Amino acid sequence: MIKSIILWALAILLAPFFSAVILKVKAFFGGRKGSPLLINYYTLIKLFKKGSVYSTSTTPVFKMGPIVSMAASAIILLFIPIAGQNPVISFNGDIIFILYLLGLARFFTIAAAMDTASPFEGMGAAREAYFPIICEATMFMILILFYRLSGELTLSAYLSGDQPLSLWHGAGSPLLFVIFALFIVLLTENSRVPVDDPATHLELTMIHEVMVLDHSGPDLGLIELGSFCKLFFYSTFIAGLISPFDLGHPLMNAALFGAALFVIYISVGITESVMARYRMDRVPKFVLTSFALALFATIITLEFMK
Amino acid sequence: MNHFFLAILIIASGGALTLILQKQFTFMKAVGVLGISTGCLIGLIDALFKLFNPVSHHLSFNYLNSLSLTFQIDGLSAFFLVAIFAVSLLASIFSFHYMSKPEKSLRTAVNYLFFSLLIASMALVVTASNILAFMLSWEIMSLSSFFLVIYDYQSPENRRAGYLYFIFSHVGAMFIFAAFGLIYGYTGSLGFNITAEIPETVKILVFIFSFIGFGSKAGVFPFHIWLPHAHPAAPSHISAVMSGVMIKTGIYGILRIYTLLDLSTPLFGQIVVIAGMVSGILGIVYALGQNDLKRLLAYCSVENIGIILIGLGIGMIGVSSGNPSMAVLGFTGGLLHVLNHSIFKSLLFMGAGIVIQKTGSRSINVLGGLLKSMKITGTTFIIGSIAISGLPPFNGFVSEFFIYLGGFQGVALDKASFVLSILAIVSLAVIGGLALACFTKVVGVAFQGEPRSNAAADVDEKGPSMLLPLIILSGACLVIGVLPGVFINMAVNALSSVGLAFTPDTIEPFTKITGNISMAALIFFIFLLSVLALRTILYKGKTISRSGTWGCGFTQPTVKMQYTGTSYASFILEFFKPIAPNHEVLKSVQGRFPEKTKYSSRINDIAELHMENVIVRPVLWLFDKLRWIQHGDIHLYIGYILLAIIVLLFFV
Repeated sequence: MIKSIILWALAILLAPFFSAVILKVKAFFGGRKGSPLLINYYTLIKLFKKGSVYSTSTTPVFKMGPIVSMAASAIILLFIPIAGQNPVISFNGDIIFILYLLGLARFFTIAAAMDTASPFEGMGAAREAYFPIICEATMFMILILFYRLSGELTLSAYLSGDQPLSLWHGAGSPLLFVIFALFIVLLTENSRVPVDDPATHLELTMIHEVMVLDHSGPDLGLIELGSFCKLFFYSTFIAGLISPFDLGHPLMNAALFGAALFVIYISVGITESVMARYRMDRVPKFVLTSFALALFATIITLEFMK
Repeated sequence: MNHFFLAILIIASGGALTLILQKQFTFMKAVGVLGISTGCLIGLIDALFKLFNPVSHHLSFNYLNSLSLTFQIDGLSAFFLVAIFAVSLLASIFSFHYMSKPEKSLRTAVNYLFFSLLIASMALVVTASNILAFMLSWEIMSLSSFFLVIYDYQSPENRRAGYLYFIFSHVGAMFIFAAFGLIYGYTGSLGFNITAEIPETVKILVFIFSFIGFGSKAGVFPFHIWLPHAHPAAPSHISAVMSGVMIKTGIYGILRIYTLLDLSTPLFGQIVVIAGMVSGILGIVYALGQNDLKRLLAYCSVENIGIILIGLGIGMIGVSSGNPSMAVLGFTGGLLHVLNHSIFKSLLFMGAGIVIQKTGSRSINVLGGLLKSMKITGTTFIIGSIAISGLPPFNGFVSEFFIYLGGFQGVALDKASFVLSILAIVSLAVIGGLALACFTKVVGVAFQGEPRSNAAADVDEKGPSMLLPLIILSGACLVIGVLPGVFINMAVNALSSVGLAFTPDTIEPFTKITGNISMAALIFFIFLLSVLALRTILYKGKTISRSGTWGCGFTQPTVKMQYTGTSYASFILEFFKPIAPNHEVLKSVQGRFPEKTKYSSRINDIAELHMENVIVRPVLWLFDKLRWIQHGDIHLYIGYILLAIIVLLFFV
């Protein structure tokens, strides 16, 4: 329990660092030196030191957006096994609660964006409301497969100890499809290229960045920290699946897990460097691919099991 | 049982008194509200008492000395009675300040009369225990709600809505009559208890007939067409009662017939799950396409009926495949969603009622910024929206969570049940996402941003009797979401009274599930408060200023530039084009001196679109051919009657 809580705190503390890895990879591909790996901490400290300017159009709902999204991101990390350790909390159906909690965070992010009366933010909000619907369908499809394999509906039953290995035994190579589908969901939910471009400065093309245009100071800091944590959550999910081996010693496991995390963050960086953002109306098709993959994996696996 | 009829009597007399007192407008309203709400309160307490002390109560009357009307309150009836009386109680309180036109005094009095009749007949429907009593109450319910729908009869649109509703409720009643006729034909009894003698194929037919009949009242796709017309036409507190509880009598009917027939073929569950998925997804897609606040909410009822049916269907599949925990999870989730939906839907309809009364507009595209001027209405509306999107820590999440768990039980089954469970889970996920999009649209466009018209700019929310129900209902959303234990017990009690909750040890894990939900809600609040505290510390001693919204360098923004409901939804609706065709009218700009141009768009409901070709035209053609029968000659009419009686004598 204590170990799990320490890991949880470490996860929140290290999430900004890992996100900086993506920036470093992008800089490498661009032939630049890039910003230091601690850049996100500097940004957060800078934001937390500032005051805020609020739009005259806004209501208290605007201030709820950052609070709810930060709280939700911190809570979901409580439920996910990190480095094969048991999570802090776990109960039957916790993964459904997590997905719906992320929905609540989305509700408030959208509401905060609509609160500003800005057409740009409305545009971003409409997109934010759309793509995650498909992601949720994918996630539930993956859950169905995992439930069928393990008979459980908790994250700890999929990712803690040697559970990932038994998933590999049960599903075999179709689990690669699942990992790929999860990677697409990661890119979509965390507004990365090719769905969204976190680095762009043209408001018309953005989703998440445009929704937080009006936030400033500590509010913006909370949003940033929340999105680092959310990215860390999805990365942990995939990292647990691609490093299923139990090396016997917690430190060795942690090292292996850390390496897996690096692989994922670097993959995100490479994806961002070699791909352009899709045209908006192409994005749903890209996200739907993840659903198709998950469905495919389920069908193949069930055929094997018979 | 006596308390129950006392409640009915008080409600009905409260409604009837208004007719006598219609000269003094305020006094008349006070008497009506007082009578109806006292009756509802007595009924509510009585129903709660009966739900937790599960004993069946019988009562029978003799009608015309030969036909008996019998009533019975068991757990299932009591559960629905709780929803009916609770929502009606708050709706009647709401109506005191809502019915605010002294010049329409007589009409208001008539409205109260039919309102009281509607409540009384709904209560009788769910307690009736023979065919006669049931159909009698059912017809009173349909007719009284018809008169409530045409309250504003001067508008042709409302008359059309009333007519549509009239036809649908009577065609539906015809199907129910057919189902009951089949039962009577085999059992020879008017009672609701002996069905063992009916052959299996007939049972299936009875179920399909009654599913169509009750489904048309509940608003199951494609029998929902009347719903988005009738609900907006009625005054808002009536819409709240109709959408919150009246359509649930259809669900009650389906559940009652299912338990009566006592046949464990998987077909029932499959029909119900498929109907649920179709209603759920199409309902919410059409809701997303609406910009009329009340129409949107009406379509959203179709969606929620879909969720309820998915839950009940999963329960039925659980019964037929011998999986008791799946059955209990599905039924409990579905039944709890009945209660939940009646709470947040009436909350939303009443909130919409205040908005419409104060701004005079039903279109969200001319509203905006209402949260600033209507703080209580806005806040409770947001709570209702979160709850109806099924998000924690509110009540919608609890029932959907149970249905999900039931669905996942089905994933372990084989073949058809497996496929249906997968479909049910994925469609629940999609419905959840679309509901979020739909309600962020309503909240974002109507309540947030800047007012898009003068009507929305200058409003208040005076009328304490309208605000009180909103506060109570939104409190109920939170209480059920955080402490679901008691309410799950209510649903389980209701189910065990009709033999659906199996043995106590299948129910045992439920305390664990509700405990987990409470714990998760507690964690959420702890984190919310901690982040709030962190934020307060971070802002300590900082300069906080106010300025205009960042317009990305553009300095002259107008309120018309804001995203509207249409633009917000268009991206998602593009994806659903095949099932929700967008009908656009655009006069394009032509020539050197172009004329004034205009644009309009409407999301079409495919059921409504095709109803005309598939049903209305053939029926009209047939009746046109039979027109010679109706010639106006009274002698021949009497001849028809004689002939009909003689022919019948041969068969009986």
